[in-house]
Amino acid sequence: MDSVLRAAAMYVALMILFKIAGRRSLAELTTFDFVLLMIIGEATQQALLGDDFSLTNSIVVIVTLIALDVGFSLLKRRSSIVSRLIDGEPTILVENGKILQERLRHARLIEADLMEAARSSQGIETVEEIKFAILERNGKISVIRREDN
Amino acid sequence: MDKSQHTDYQSRTFPVREDMPYQLKVWRFERWGWYALVVVVLMALLGLFSRGPLSVREAQSFDRKITVHYEIFHRNGSTNPMKIVVNGQESAPVALELSGDFFDGFSIESMQPEPVKVVSAGQGIRLWLQTDPQGQATLYLMLRGDGLGGYSSRVSGPSSPPLILTQYILP
Repeated sequence: MDSVLRAAAMYVALMILFKIAGRRSLAELTTFDFVLLMIIGEATQQALLGDDFSLTNSIVVIVTLIALDVGFSLLKRRSSIVSRLIDGEPTILVENGKILQERLRHARLIEADLMEAARSSQGIETVEEIKFAILERNGKISVIRREDN
Repeated sequence: MDKSQHTDYQSRTFPVREDMPYQLKVWRFERWGWYALVVVVLMALLGLFSRGPLSVREAQSFDRKITVHYEIFHRNGSTNPMKIVVNGQESAPVALELSGDFFDGFSIESMQPEPVKVVSAGQGIRLWLQTDPQGQATLYLMLRGDGLGGYSSRVSGPSSPPLILTQYILP
């Protein structure tokens, strides 16, 4: 019984904590952020398995997590409110070469983050070349290049 | 800056359909969530999740014959020390009883020094410790929290009124 409760509690706790951390925490950023995510994974595993490393316990925990995940994705299909609550929505950060500074501030981002995404995805050099830069639900910044008239 | 006037807060429809009032709520939740995380870290540093200044306690019986140094907050599966100091006659065995909910929530991982004699007594155990020439015996226990919730333990000597300790085991 405790395996299922641990797995469920951990699933919900992580969902809430990552919601607090914001969208960028899930996108792979610097090497340090990547290592931090791995450490969080390790800490989670310790809490889920405790000192019980049996096959049964592992499988029960994995089954519980997958069941919850599938359950939530079914719930998301049925209700757009739940879907928005769990996954969030994309947000436009740059519009026609102009950075929307207030939105950048709320999203806890800096211009360097935007330009890094622009350079790596589109080879863009300046902000003026960006038509739209959108912070997607998964934390990645997608950039649409401005067409030359 | 009036949020309704600033163009940044207006919902765009292309290339994605936005709902800025909702997004602002999400951002506010993130900010308050961050404050909550800081509070949790501070609580943990103070010992409210075990091992810290707010968790450590010292209890003494009325006749000052028994003193217990223990932790109020424990974590399931984790070990914490407990020290019991008993005063009695010089260089003679002195009896100590651990009862109440003690063994419902905790298991004793180690006990130093080995008592002269240990027997079960009711809900708990009674043990005899050899005192030193000054008449004092100290027992060092390593407790592992196995239960969940609050546990009321009793530590008593032959002539002393029992010491009631309340401890909590967190999941």
